[in-house]
Amino acid sequence: MKKFIGLLCWLGFSCQALELTVKDTQGQPLVGAAVWLEGKQWSVNDISLSQQYNMGQKDRNFTPHALIVPQGAKVDFPNFDSILHHVYSFSEPKAFELKLYRDKPQAPITFSQTGVVELGCNIHDWMLGYILVVNSGVFGLTDINGKVNLPLMENQLGTTTLKVWHERYENLDKPESKQLNIVQTNQKIQYQLQQPLLDKLDFLTDETDGYE
Amino acid sequence: MNKRVTVIGSLFFLFANQSYAVEGQLHGLVEISAHDRSEQKSWTAGGWGMSRFGTQSNVLNISRGVLEGRVDLSSAWSGHAVAQYVPDQNDKLGFTEAYVNYQPLSKRYQFRSRIGAFYPRMSLENPSLGWSSPYTYQYSAINAWIGEEVRTFGAEFEIKRPARRFRSKYDISFLGALYKGNDPAGTLVAWRGFTPHDRQSVINERVQFAPLYALMAPQLAHQGQYVEPFSEVDGRFGYYFGTHIGYLKKHTLRLYWYDNNGDPSVLNRNTQQYAWDTKFWSLAWRSKLSKQTQVIMQAMVGNTAMGARRGVDNDFNSWFVMLSHTWQNYRVSGRLEQSKVIDKDFWEFDPNNSETQAATLNIRKQLNKQWQLGFEWQYLDTRAEFRPPVGRDAQQQETLYRATAKYQF
Repeated sequence: MKKFIGLLCWLGFSCQALELTVKDTQGQPLVGAAVWLEGKQWSVNDISLSQQYNMGQKDRNFTPHALIVPQGAKVDFPNFDSILHHVYSFSEPKAFELKLYRDKPQAPITFSQTGVVELGCNIHDWMLGYILVVNSGVFGLTDINGKVNLPLMENQLGTTTLKVWHERYENLDKPESKQLNIVQTNQKIQYQLQQPLLDKLDFLTDETDGYE
Repeated sequence: MNKRVTVIGSLFFLFANQSYAVEGQLHGLVEISAHDRSEQKSWTAGGWGMSRFGTQSNVLNISRGVLEGRVDLSSAWSGHAVAQYVPDQNDKLGFTEAYVNYQPLSKRYQFRSRIGAFYPRMSLENPSLGWSSPYTYQYSAINAWIGEEVRTFGAEFEIKRPARRFRSKYDISFLGALYKGNDPAGTLVAWRGFTPHDRQSVINERVQFAPLYALMAPQLAHQGQYVEPFSEVDGRFGYYFGTHIGYLKKHTLRLYWYDNNGDPSVLNRNTQQYAWDTKFWSLAWRSKLSKQTQVIMQAMVGNTAMGARRGVDNDFNSWFVMLSHTWQNYRVSGRLEQSKVIDKDFWEFDPNNSETQAATLNIRKQLNKQWQLGFEWQYLDTRAEFRPPVGRDAQQQETLYRATAKYQF
């Protein structure tokens, strides 16, 4: 995302960004929430499509754990481990499988349908990753402080629909929505979730869980 | 070959009505070890020593070499083979495992089957390449015995409820297997006793043991001074059942019931091998106390018998507790263990009571992705009632030191 902002600055656009803070129902900052803006002015654009999107596998985990991409984006699946991963998805927007040997990258996969793509590995069944495919060119994931900066151009003001999604939602296919009126590109906005989150599942894996 | 070699077969062939490119991968390791050898000749050379490297061994040797290959035949089918080189006895080369794996993609419950020759997954101590241990060089006596006398030659079926797919904290799976060819398992328990080591047997291997007084008795005139642990003697199927339960990958439990269903009255006069009726429970537990520290335990209790009137009939039990801690590029592991063989039969010329106690300490450092250097100390105290009939002390102590450099790709 930093690269994205840098590119916009280089192109002479405003470097300002909408600062969004997401909190859970308890009022605590929420890390890993995916947010995006929907509407004509905020729709998928060439710049966001031309970004490099990677869903890697490292130390038998997906990295990043969640990835948000614009509709039509191509995603690479680099394997940084020395072992084979058998990555698959049964999800409606994109069902696929890839056997990923180290040093033998597969062709990127194009995600042309919006929605949540849940990734698994058939060899390491604790591995879980998400790719969110959104109909937007303005999107991001919240950091450890629940914050995300969404860079906006001067013409991206007005009334938009803010979408917020988190992997601990009961129903993963239903992001929360809120109407937003953006009056300036460096606006600060807080969003509090409307639903309680499921328990966090913190799997503890290391090399003693098998080398295969 | 400083990295995994990816083999891209140029062949295409039909499999399950679909055409797939044959792809696979090859991993391997070489262990170069320096030993402070035991003062006895090891059982692998037909001696009385209870440690793997004895007077017959070189001070410096390649203690083990492993090549492990995987070939993907389709989305669900893959072929696996593990080849092993060990210097003892006489530069032995062979396969420890060779099987096909069927594991179709699934949304919820996971089905898996293995067909061929493979290890039952009772151990939590041997998760590394070629069934080696990331903790100590010499495995606990329980898993050393599994490595030398227990192998499945048949089919295993598993149904698993993976935690992630059910948004649950618990992994649960049930396994069962039917197999042949593991009839003489138990021979070493009776006539050598339990001992910690890392000498895995290869398929079709013949493992020696010491020239026991009992073998001169007419009742054992047809028993060789060796075991062919994976041979078929009685023509009957054996089986095992198991369950694996995990909690967030922090706590793992594996429980198995193994019964080779051997008919102890059957003898193969050509190979001089009896079918042993061997059955046991194995319970393994691992808890990660933190990201760095884990404790591993395993216990086994069972019985093994041979002869038409169960002339050899022994109960056995064994347990170990191990603590392992990682720190920077180091791993330190310590293990305590005890094993017992309890003679229940009426053959007084063949005493099988034995007891093994051992303490093992290992420290290893990962130098880079390929190289690892480590040092191991082991104190081994054994008492065996089959020693005095040949004029040896029942009690025997050995202290072993071993430095190993491991290269893995």
